[in-house]
Amino acid sequence: MNDPRGDFGAAIFTGSHDGACDDGGLLRRIGRGDEDAMAEFYREHGRVVLAQVLLVTGERVLAEEIVQDTMLAVWRGAGSFRGESSVRSWVIAIARRQTRDRLRSRRLRVVDDAFLADQPGSDPGPEVMALDRAELAEVMGAIRKLASAHREVLGLAFGAGLSLAEVAGVLEIPVGTVKSRLSAARAALNQILDEKGQNR
Amino acid sequence: MNTDPADTRHLHLDREDLMASAAGQPVGDRAQQHLASCEQCQREATRWDRVADGVRGLAAAAPGTAEPALPSRASQRALQGRWRRAALVAGSVAAALVLLAGIGEATGFVHIRLSGPGTQTYLTAVTGCTQLLQADGTLEHVNGNSLVIQLASGQPVTVTTTASTFVSMSGALTSDITDGASVEVRGYRYGGTIAAAIVTVGQPFSAVNPSGFVPLQGTVSDVRTSGFTLVTSTGTRVQVTTSSETLVVVPHASPGQLQAGVTIFAVGRAGPDGTLAAEAVAAVSQFRSGPHVSVSLKVKDCSPSSIEEALGAISVAPAG
Repeated sequence: MNDPRGDFGAAIFTGSHDGACDDGGLLRRIGRGDEDAMAEFYREHGRVVLAQVLLVTGERVLAEEIVQDTMLAVWRGAGSFRGESSVRSWVIAIARRQTRDRLRSRRLRVVDDAFLADQPGSDPGPEVMALDRAELAEVMGAIRKLASAHREVLGLAFGAGLSLAEVAGVLEIPVGTVKSRLSAARAALNQILDEKGQNR
Repeated sequence: MNTDPADTRHLHLDREDLMASAAGQPVGDRAQQHLASCEQCQREATRWDRVADGVRGLAAAAPGTAEPALPSRASQRALQGRWRRAALVAGSVAAALVLLAGIGEATGFVHIRLSGPGTQTYLTAVTGCTQLLQADGTLEHVNGNSLVIQLASGQPVTVTTTASTFVSMSGALTSDITDGASVEVRGYRYGGTIAAAIVTVGQPFSAVNPSGFVPLQGTVSDVRTSGFTLVTSTGTRVQVTTSSETLVVVPHASPGQLQAGVTIFAVGRAGPDGTLAAEAVAAVSQFRSGPHVSVSLKVKDCSPSSIEEALGAISVAPAG
Protein backbone atom coordinates (compact mmCIF):
# COMPACT_ATOMS: atom_id res chain seq x y z
CA MET A 1 0.00 0.00 0.00
CA ASN A 2 1.26 3.46 -0.80
CA ASP A 3 2.00 5.77 2.04
CA PRO A 4 -0.80 8.32 1.78
CA ARG A 5 1.56 11.01 2.99
CA GLY A 6 3.62 10.91 -0.16
CA ASP A 7 6.59 8.98 -1.39
CA PHE A 8 9.27 11.57 -0.83
CA GLY A 9 10.58 10.11 2.39
CA ALA A 10 9.78 11.66 5.72
CA ALA A 11 13.33 12.74 6.36
CA ILE A 12 13.46 14.93 3.29
CA PHE A 13 11.02 17.54 4.46
CA THR A 14 11.41 17.31 8.19
CA GLY A 15 13.52 19.91 9.90
CA SER A 16 15.92 18.28 12.26
CA HIS A 17 18.26 19.39 14.94
CA ASP A 18 21.10 17.01 15.49
CA GLY A 19 23.70 19.27 16.94
CA ALA A 20 23.19 18.41 20.60
CA CYS A 21 26.84 17.52 21.20
CA ASP A 22 28.07 20.64 19.44
CA ASP A 23 25.53 22.72 21.34
CA GLY A 24 27.09 21.79 24.66
CA GLY A 25 30.47 22.85 23.38
CA LEU A 26 29.00 26.03 21.98
CA LEU A 27 27.55 26.94 25.37
CA ARG A 28 30.89 26.32 27.05
CA ARG A 29 32.55 28.64 24.54
CA ILE A 30 29.82 31.23 25.07
CA GLY A 31 30.42 30.93 28.80
CA ARG A 32 34.04 31.89 28.15
CA GLY A 33 32.91 34.97 26.23
CA ASP A 34 33.44 33.65 22.70
CA GLU A 35 31.42 35.97 20.46
CA ASP A 36 31.78 33.74 17.39
CA ALA A 37 30.22 30.92 19.39
CA MET A 38 27.33 33.21 20.30
CA ALA A 39 26.85 34.09 16.66
CA GLU A 40 26.87 30.39 15.79
CA PHE A 41 24.37 29.66 18.54
CA TYR A 42 22.17 32.40 17.16
CA ARG A 43 22.23 30.94 13.69
CA GLU A 44 21.52 27.47 15.06
CA HIS A 45 18.58 28.38 17.27
CA GLY A 46 17.52 31.96 16.58
CA ARG A 47 15.06 31.31 13.81
CA VAL A 48 13.35 28.42 15.60
CA VAL A 49 13.04 30.43 18.80
CA LEU A 50 11.70 33.40 16.87
CA ALA A 51 9.15 31.25 15.06
CA GLN A 52 7.96 29.79 18.35
CA VAL A 53 7.70 33.16 20.09
CA LEU A 54 6.01 34.71 17.09
CA LEU A 55 3.52 31.85 17.03
CA VAL A 56 2.60 32.55 20.64
CA THR A 57 2.60 36.34 20.61
CA GLY A 58 1.50 36.99 17.04
CA GLU A 59 3.45 40.24 17.09
CA ARG A 60 6.65 40.52 15.16
CA VAL A 61 8.21 43.44 17.00
CA LEU A 62 7.44 41.93 20.38
CA ALA A 63 8.73 38.53 19.25
CA GLU A 64 11.97 40.09 18.01
CA GLU A 65 12.47 41.80 21.35
CA ILE A 66 11.82 38.59 23.25
CA VAL A 67 14.32 36.70 21.11
CA GLN A 68 16.91 39.38 21.71
CA ASP A 69 16.28 39.20 25.46
CA THR A 70 16.48 35.42 25.28
CA MET A 71 19.83 35.51 23.52
CA LEU A 72 21.05 38.06 26.02
CA ALA A 73 20.07 35.64 28.79
CA VAL A 74 21.96 32.87 26.99
CA TRP A 75 25.02 35.10 26.68
CA ARG A 76 24.89 35.89 30.37
CA GLY A 77 23.86 32.48 31.63
CA ALA A 78 25.54 29.95 29.36
CA GLY A 79 27.62 28.75 32.28
CA SER A 80 24.50 27.77 34.20
CA PHE A 81 23.44 25.15 31.65
CA ARG A 82 23.67 21.83 33.46
CA GLY A 83 22.94 19.51 30.58
CA GLU A 84 19.77 18.16 32.13
CA SER A 85 17.82 18.90 28.97
CA SER A 86 18.66 19.50 25.34
CA VAL A 87 20.03 22.92 24.55
CA ARG A 88 17.12 23.53 22.19
CA SER A 89 14.53 22.91 24.91
CA TRP A 90 16.64 24.94 27.37
CA VAL A 91 16.74 28.02 25.16
CA ILE A 92 13.05 27.67 24.29
CA ALA A 93 12.22 27.45 27.99
CA ILE A 94 14.12 30.71 28.51
CA ALA A 95 12.20 32.28 25.64
CA ARG A 96 8.94 31.02 27.12
CA ARG A 97 9.70 32.68 30.45
CA GLN A 98 10.60 35.89 28.69
CA THR A 99 7.34 35.70 26.72
CA ARG A 100 5.29 34.97 29.81
CA ASP A 101 6.82 37.94 31.64
CA ARG A 102 6.13 40.25 28.72
CA LEU A 103 2.56 39.06 28.29
CA ARG A 104 1.94 39.17 32.02
CA SER A 105 3.05 42.77 32.09
CA ARG A 106 0.38 43.46 29.50
CA ARG A 107 -2.15 41.81 31.81
CA LEU A 108 -3.35 39.38 29.21
CA ARG A 109 -5.77 36.75 30.43
CA VAL A 110 -3.32 33.87 30.38
CA VAL A 111 -5.20 31.94 33.05
CA ASP A 112 -8.29 31.56 30.90
CA ASP A 113 -6.10 30.57 28.00
CA ALA A 114 -4.39 27.84 29.99
CA PHE A 115 -7.73 26.57 31.23
CA LEU A 116 -9.05 26.32 27.71
CA ALA A 117 -5.94 24.53 26.55
CA ASP A 118 -6.66 21.36 28.47
CA GLN A 119 -10.37 21.08 27.90
CA PRO A 120 -11.38 17.84 26.22
CA GLY A 121 -11.44 18.02 22.47
CA SER A 122 -14.57 17.61 20.44
CA ASP A 123 -13.08 15.99 17.37
CA PRO A 124 -15.66 13.92 15.54
CA GLY A 125 -13.31 10.95 15.42
CA PRO A 126 -12.89 8.80 12.38
CA GLU A 127 -15.44 10.52 10.17
CA VAL A 128 -14.49 13.22 7.71
CA MET A 129 -13.06 16.28 9.40
CA ALA A 130 -12.62 19.81 8.15
CA LEU A 131 -8.89 19.17 8.39
CA ASP A 132 -9.21 16.55 5.66
CA ARG A 133 -10.26 19.05 3.04
CA ALA A 134 -8.46 22.18 4.21
CA GLU A 135 -5.75 23.76 2.13
CA LEU A 136 -2.42 24.49 3.77
CA ALA A 137 -3.02 28.24 3.77
CA GLU A 138 -6.33 27.66 5.54
CA VAL A 139 -4.66 25.51 8.19
CA MET A 140 -2.00 28.16 8.73
CA GLY A 141 -4.65 30.86 9.04
CA ALA A 142 -6.66 28.77 11.48
CA ILE A 143 -3.61 28.12 13.65
CA ARG A 144 -3.17 31.87 13.98
CA LYS A 145 -6.70 32.05 15.42
CA LEU A 146 -6.10 29.45 18.13
CA ALA A 147 -5.69 30.36 21.78
CA SER A 148 -2.05 31.14 22.54
CA ALA A 149 -1.67 28.05 24.74
CA HIS A 150 -2.77 25.91 21.80
CA ARG A 151 -0.43 27.69 19.41
CA GLU A 152 2.36 27.28 21.93
CA VAL A 153 2.06 23.52 22.34
CA LEU A 154 1.69 22.99 18.59
CA GLY A 155 4.77 25.08 17.94
CA LEU A 156 6.84 23.23 20.50
CA ALA A 157 5.81 19.81 19.25
CA PHE A 158 5.85 20.39 15.51
CA GLY A 159 7.86 23.55 14.91
CA ALA A 160 10.67 23.42 17.43
CA GLY A 161 11.35 19.73 16.96
CA LEU A 162 11.05 18.84 20.64
CA SER A 163 9.96 15.41 21.83
CA LEU A 164 6.76 15.19 23.87
CA ALA A 165 8.89 14.73 26.99
CA GLU A 166 10.85 17.86 26.14
CA VAL A 167 7.63 19.78 25.48
CA ALA A 168 6.43 18.64 28.89
CA GLY A 169 9.67 19.90 30.43
CA VAL A 170 9.38 23.30 28.79
CA LEU A 171 5.72 23.71 29.76
CA GLU A 172 6.29 22.18 33.19
CA ILE A 173 3.34 19.83 32.82
CA PRO A 174 3.06 16.02 32.61
CA VAL A 175 3.48 14.31 29.23
CA GLY A 176 -0.13 13.17 29.40
CA THR A 177 -1.25 16.76 29.66
CA VAL A 178 0.87 17.64 26.64
CA LYS A 179 -0.97 14.99 24.64
CA SER A 180 -4.35 16.24 25.88
CA ARG A 181 -3.39 19.79 25.04
CA LEU A 182 -2.28 18.81 21.56
CA SER A 183 -5.53 16.96 20.98
CA ALA A 184 -7.51 19.93 22.28
CA ALA A 185 -5.54 22.20 19.97
CA ARG A 186 -6.29 20.00 16.99
CA ALA A 187 -9.97 19.88 17.90
CA ALA A 188 -10.09 23.66 18.18
CA LEU A 189 -8.30 23.93 14.85
CA ASN A 190 -10.78 21.61 13.24
CA GLN A 191 -13.65 23.63 14.67
CA ILE A 192 -12.26 26.86 13.26
CA LEU A 193 -11.83 25.24 9.86
CA ASP A 194 -15.30 23.73 10.04
CA GLU A 195 -16.91 27.08 10.85
CA LYS A 196 -14.95 28.70 8.05
CA GLY A 197 -16.11 26.01 5.65
CA GLN A 198 -19.75 26.42 6.64
CA ASN A 199 -19.54 30.16 6.13
CA ARG A 200 -18.26 29.85 2.59
CA MET B 1 0.91 1.87 20.49
CA ASN B 2 -2.26 0.20 21.80
CA THR B 3 -1.19 -3.21 20.73
CA ASP B 4 -0.99 -6.78 21.72
CA PRO B 5 2.58 -7.78 20.94
CA ALA B 6 1.25 -10.73 19.00
CA ASP B 7 -1.17 -8.77 16.85
CA THR B 8 -0.38 -5.64 14.89
CA ARG B 9 -3.44 -5.73 12.67
CA HIS B 10 -6.37 -4.67 14.80
CA LEU B 11 -5.20 -2.29 17.50
CA HIS B 12 -4.61 1.25 16.41
CA LEU B 13 -1.77 3.67 16.95
CA ASP B 14 -2.09 5.80 20.03
CA ARG B 15 -1.88 9.57 20.05
CA GLU B 16 1.78 9.56 21.05
CA ASP B 17 2.79 7.56 18.00
CA LEU B 18 0.71 9.74 15.70
CA MET B 19 2.06 12.93 17.20
CA ALA B 20 5.63 11.67 17.09
CA SER B 21 5.20 10.62 13.48
CA ALA B 22 3.86 14.05 12.53
CA ALA B 23 6.75 15.67 14.39
CA GLY B 24 9.19 13.68 12.29
CA GLN B 25 10.38 11.65 15.23
CA PRO B 26 10.97 7.93 15.05
CA VAL B 27 8.15 5.52 15.77
CA GLY B 28 8.57 1.82 16.36
CA ASP B 29 8.67 -0.79 13.63
CA ARG B 30 5.45 -2.33 14.89
CA ALA B 31 3.67 1.01 14.70
CA GLN B 32 4.96 1.60 11.19
CA GLN B 33 3.87 -1.88 10.18
CA HIS B 34 0.41 -1.23 11.51
CA LEU B 35 0.22 2.18 9.87
CA ALA B 36 1.01 0.68 6.49
CA SER B 37 -2.06 -1.51 6.64
CA CYS B 38 -4.59 0.54 8.61
CA GLU B 39 -6.57 3.14 6.69
CA GLN B 40 -8.06 4.59 9.83
CA CYS B 41 -4.65 5.24 11.33
CA GLN B 42 -3.42 6.61 8.01
CA ARG B 43 -6.25 9.13 8.04
CA GLU B 44 -5.40 10.13 11.58
CA ALA B 45 -1.71 10.36 10.72
CA THR B 46 -2.51 12.54 7.73
CA ARG B 47 -4.57 14.86 9.93
CA TRP B 48 -1.73 15.25 12.39
CA ASP B 49 0.61 15.77 9.46
CA ARG B 50 -1.61 18.59 8.23
CA VAL B 51 -1.53 20.24 11.62
CA ALA B 52 2.26 19.85 11.75
CA ASP B 53 2.62 21.14 8.19
CA GLY B 54 0.57 24.19 9.13
CA VAL B 55 2.85 24.91 12.08
CA ARG B 56 5.94 24.41 9.95
CA GLY B 57 4.44 26.60 7.27
CA LEU B 58 4.04 29.41 9.77
CA ALA B 59 7.57 28.84 11.04
CA ALA B 60 8.90 28.98 7.49
CA ALA B 61 7.06 32.24 6.94
CA ALA B 62 8.53 33.76 10.10
CA PRO B 63 10.81 36.66 9.31
CA GLY B 64 14.54 36.56 9.78
CA THR B 65 15.86 38.32 12.80
CA ALA B 66 18.66 40.69 13.49
CA GLU B 67 21.84 39.32 14.90
CA PRO B 68 23.44 42.24 16.68
CA ALA B 69 27.11 42.52 17.35
CA LEU B 70 28.26 41.44 20.78
CA PRO B 71 30.23 43.85 22.87
CA SER B 72 32.36 42.64 25.73
CA ARG B 73 30.85 41.18 28.86
CA ALA B 74 32.29 44.05 30.82
CA SER B 75 29.71 46.36 29.27
CA GLN B 76 26.61 44.28 29.69
CA ARG B 77 24.48 47.27 30.47
CA ALA B 78 25.38 48.73 27.12
CA LEU B 79 24.92 45.31 25.57
CA GLN B 80 21.29 45.16 26.49
CA GLY B 81 20.69 48.58 25.03
CA ARG B 82 22.39 47.73 21.78
CA TRP B 83 20.58 44.43 21.42
CA ARG B 84 17.26 46.03 22.12
CA ARG B 85 17.87 48.85 19.69
CA ALA B 86 18.79 46.35 17.00
CA ALA B 87 15.55 44.50 17.60
CA LEU B 88 13.49 47.64 17.49
CA VAL B 89 15.09 48.71 14.24
CA ALA B 90 14.46 45.24 12.83
CA GLY B 91 10.82 45.53 13.70
CA SER B 92 10.38 48.87 12.01
CA VAL B 93 10.24 47.34 8.58
CA ALA B 94 8.38 50.21 7.01
CA ALA B 95 11.35 52.45 7.51
CA ALA B 96 14.21 50.05 7.81
CA LEU B 97 15.29 46.48 7.47
CA VAL B 98 18.09 45.00 9.47
CA LEU B 99 19.47 41.61 8.73
CA LEU B 100 22.75 40.05 9.53
CA ALA B 101 23.42 37.03 7.41
CA GLY B 102 26.41 34.95 8.30
CA ILE B 103 28.11 32.45 6.10
CA GLY B 104 30.47 30.24 8.01
CA GLU B 105 34.01 30.08 6.72
CA ALA B 106 37.04 28.47 8.21
CA THR B 107 38.72 31.85 8.30
CA GLY B 108 35.81 33.90 9.58
CA PHE B 109 32.48 35.22 8.48
CA VAL B 110 31.13 37.28 5.70
CA HIS B 111 28.56 39.60 7.19
CA ILE B 112 25.92 41.65 5.49
CA ARG B 113 24.06 44.25 7.43
CA LEU B 114 21.10 45.91 5.82
CA SER B 115 19.93 49.08 7.40
CA GLY B 116 18.16 52.20 6.43
CA PRO B 117 17.34 54.80 5.54
CA GLY B 118 20.75 55.03 3.93
CA THR B 119 22.98 57.91 4.82
CA GLN B 120 25.62 57.55 2.16
CA THR B 121 25.42 59.81 -0.80
CA TYR B 122 27.70 57.95 -3.15
CA LEU B 123 29.82 54.86 -3.49
CA THR B 124 30.91 53.65 -0.12
CA ALA B 125 33.78 51.44 0.96
CA VAL B 126 33.35 47.83 1.89
CA THR B 127 34.60 47.40 5.41
CA GLY B 128 37.77 45.38 5.47
CA CYS B 129 38.34 45.34 1.71
CA THR B 130 40.22 48.45 0.78
CA GLN B 131 39.69 48.28 -2.96
CA LEU B 132 36.03 47.37 -2.98
CA LEU B 133 33.15 49.81 -3.20
CA GLN B 134 29.44 49.32 -3.04
CA ALA B 135 26.42 51.03 -4.50
CA ASP B 136 22.85 50.37 -3.46
CA GLY B 137 19.74 51.82 -4.99
CA THR B 138 16.85 51.34 -7.36
CA LEU B 139 17.37 50.18 -10.92
CA GLU B 140 16.33 52.92 -13.35
CA HIS B 141 17.20 51.17 -16.59
CA VAL B 142 19.54 48.70 -18.24
CA ASN B 143 21.76 49.80 -21.09
CA GLY B 144 23.44 46.73 -22.56
CA ASN B 145 25.76 45.49 -19.85
CA SER B 146 25.41 48.62 -17.75
CA LEU B 147 22.88 49.30 -15.03
CA VAL B 148 21.85 52.80 -14.09
CA ILE B 149 20.73 52.88 -10.50
CA GLN B 150 19.43 55.69 -8.35
CA LEU B 151 20.94 55.91 -4.90
CA ALA B 152 18.90 56.82 -1.82
CA SER B 153 20.24 60.34 -2.22
CA GLY B 154 18.63 60.52 -5.67
CA GLN B 155 21.96 60.53 -7.45
CA PRO B 156 22.28 58.18 -10.44
CA VAL B 157 25.25 55.81 -10.69
CA THR B 158 26.25 53.61 -13.59
CA VAL B 159 27.23 50.06 -12.68
CA THR B 160 29.08 48.21 -15.42
CA THR B 161 29.15 44.45 -15.70
CA THR B 162 31.17 41.94 -17.68
CA ALA B 163 30.70 38.28 -18.45
CA SER B 164 32.43 37.41 -15.20
CA THR B 165 30.20 39.59 -13.03
CA PHE B 166 27.99 37.58 -10.73
CA VAL B 167 24.40 38.79 -11.23
CA SER B 168 21.57 37.35 -9.15
CA MET B 169 17.93 38.27 -8.95
CA SER B 170 15.18 37.26 -6.56
CA GLY B 171 11.56 37.94 -5.77
CA ALA B 172 8.15 36.63 -6.73
CA LEU B 173 9.53 35.66 -10.11
CA THR B 174 7.41 32.59 -10.84
CA SER B 175 7.37 33.50 -14.52
CA ASP B 176 11.05 32.54 -14.56
CA ILE B 177 10.09 28.95 -13.78
CA THR B 178 9.72 27.47 -17.23
CA ASP B 179 9.39 24.00 -18.69
CA GLY B 180 12.75 22.27 -18.94
CA ALA B 181 14.47 24.50 -16.40
CA SER B 182 16.68 22.92 -13.77
CA VAL B 183 15.51 23.98 -10.35
CA GLU B 184 16.13 23.34 -6.70
CA VAL B 185 12.98 23.47 -4.58
CA ARG B 186 12.94 24.13 -0.85
CA GLY B 187 9.56 23.73 0.73
CA TYR B 188 7.44 21.56 2.92
CA ARG B 189 5.33 18.53 2.29
CA TYR B 190 1.60 18.92 2.30
CA GLY B 191 -0.40 15.85 1.49
CA GLY B 192 1.00 14.58 -1.79
CA THR B 193 2.49 17.88 -2.91
CA ILE B 194 5.33 20.20 -2.03
CA ALA B 195 4.50 23.79 -1.15
CA ALA B 196 7.53 25.69 -2.42
CA ALA B 197 9.02 28.35 -0.16
CA ILE B 198 12.09 28.95 -2.33
CA VAL B 199 12.79 27.88 -5.89
CA THR B 200 16.31 28.36 -7.23
CA VAL B 201 16.36 28.41 -11.03
CA GLY B 202 19.50 27.18 -12.78
CA GLN B 203 22.56 25.97 -10.97
CA PRO B 204 22.09 25.44 -7.24
CA PHE B 205 23.70 28.19 -5.20
CA SER B 206 25.14 27.43 -1.79
CA ALA B 207 24.17 30.83 -0.39
CA VAL B 208 20.50 29.95 -0.88
CA ASN B 209 20.43 27.54 2.01
CA PRO B 210 18.16 28.68 4.80
CA SER B 211 17.55 26.27 7.64
CA GLY B 212 14.39 24.23 7.92
CA PHE B 213 14.30 22.96 4.36
CA VAL B 214 16.08 20.21 2.55
CA PRO B 215 16.54 20.67 -1.19
CA LEU B 216 14.82 18.67 -3.87
CA GLN B 217 16.34 19.00 -7.33
CA GLY B 218 14.97 18.23 -10.75
CA THR B 219 13.63 19.51 -14.03
CA VAL B 220 10.48 21.58 -14.42
CA SER B 221 7.58 20.15 -16.37
CA ASP B 222 3.91 21.07 -16.86
CA VAL B 223 4.17 24.63 -15.60
CA ARG B 224 0.80 26.07 -14.58
CA THR B 225 -0.42 29.06 -12.62
CA SER B 226 -0.47 27.22 -9.33
CA GLY B 227 2.81 25.34 -9.68
CA PHE B 228 4.61 22.75 -11.73
CA THR B 229 5.73 19.14 -11.84
CA LEU B 230 9.27 18.45 -10.72
CA VAL B 231 10.90 15.47 -12.40
CA THR B 232 13.80 14.21 -10.29
CA SER B 233 16.90 12.48 -11.62
CA THR B 234 15.32 9.13 -10.82
CA GLY B 235 12.23 9.99 -12.85
CA THR B 236 9.98 10.57 -9.85
CA ARG B 237 7.34 13.21 -10.58
CA VAL B 238 6.62 15.51 -7.65
CA GLN B 239 3.81 18.06 -7.72
CA VAL B 240 5.05 21.45 -6.52
CA THR B 241 2.71 24.30 -5.67
CA THR B 242 3.79 27.93 -5.83
CA SER B 243 2.13 31.12 -4.65
CA SER B 244 2.81 34.80 -4.40
CA GLU B 245 4.75 33.94 -1.25
CA THR B 246 7.16 31.69 -3.12
CA LEU B 247 10.59 33.27 -3.39
CA VAL B 248 12.25 32.59 -6.74
CA VAL B 249 16.02 33.03 -6.92
CA VAL B 250 17.96 33.16 -10.17
CA PRO B 251 21.57 33.13 -8.99
CA HIS B 252 23.11 33.42 -12.46
CA ALA B 253 21.06 36.00 -14.30
CA SER B 254 22.03 38.42 -17.05
CA PRO B 255 21.65 42.20 -16.86
CA GLY B 256 18.98 42.06 -19.55
CA GLN B 257 16.73 40.03 -17.27
CA LEU B 258 16.59 42.73 -14.59
CA GLN B 259 13.46 44.82 -14.32
CA ALA B 260 13.43 48.54 -13.61
CA GLY B 261 12.37 49.38 -10.09
CA VAL B 262 14.06 46.50 -8.30
CA THR B 263 16.49 47.15 -5.47
CA ILE B 264 20.12 46.71 -6.56
CA PHE B 265 23.10 45.89 -4.37
CA ALA B 266 26.35 46.09 -6.29
CA VAL B 267 29.93 45.55 -5.15
CA GLY B 268 33.00 46.17 -7.27
CA ARG B 269 35.85 48.51 -7.98
CA ALA B 270 35.97 52.16 -8.99
CA GLY B 271 35.61 52.62 -12.73
CA PRO B 272 36.10 55.68 -14.91
CA ASP B 273 33.94 58.76 -14.44
CA GLY B 274 32.46 57.67 -11.15
CA THR B 275 31.16 54.36 -12.43
CA LEU B 276 31.30 51.11 -10.48
CA ALA B 277 32.86 48.12 -12.24
CA ALA B 278 30.82 45.44 -10.54
CA GLU B 279 32.11 42.08 -9.40
CA ALA B 280 28.72 41.10 -8.08
CA VAL B 281 25.19 42.44 -8.36
CA ALA B 282 22.09 41.34 -6.46
CA ALA B 283 18.72 42.49 -7.80
CA VAL B 284 16.10 42.02 -5.12
CA SER B 285 12.42 42.68 -5.61
CA GLN B 286 11.00 41.19 -2.40
CA PHE B 287 11.88 44.26 -0.31
CA ARG B 288 9.13 46.78 -0.01
CA SER B 289 11.53 49.27 1.52
CA GLY B 290 12.87 50.17 -1.92
CA PRO B 291 15.65 52.69 -2.01
CA HIS B 292 15.63 53.10 1.75
CA VAL B 293 17.38 49.79 2.14
CA SER B 294 21.15 49.95 2.10
CA VAL B 295 23.86 47.42 2.71
CA SER B 296 27.27 47.61 4.29
CA LEU B 297 29.59 44.68 3.99
CA LYS B 298 32.13 43.47 6.48
CA VAL B 299 34.29 41.01 4.65
CA LYS B 300 37.36 39.37 6.09
CA ASP B 301 37.96 37.33 2.97
CA CYS B 302 37.67 39.77 0.09
CA SER B 303 37.74 37.14 -2.63
CA PRO B 304 35.17 37.19 -5.46
CA SER B 305 33.58 34.01 -4.12
CA SER B 306 33.07 35.61 -0.70
CA ILE B 307 31.43 38.62 -2.30
CA GLU B 308 29.19 36.37 -4.38
CA GLU B 309 28.18 34.39 -1.31
CA ALA B 310 27.49 37.56 0.63
CA LEU B 311 25.35 39.13 -2.06
CA GLY B 312 23.70 35.80 -2.77
CA ALA B 313 22.58 35.67 0.84
CA ILE B 314 20.62 38.86 0.23
CA SER B 315 18.49 36.89 -2.22
CA VAL B 316 16.89 34.94 0.59
CA ALA B 317 16.49 37.86 2.94
CA PRO B 318 12.89 38.05 4.10
CA ALA B 319 10.55 40.55 2.54
CA GLY B 320 10.65 43.84 4.36
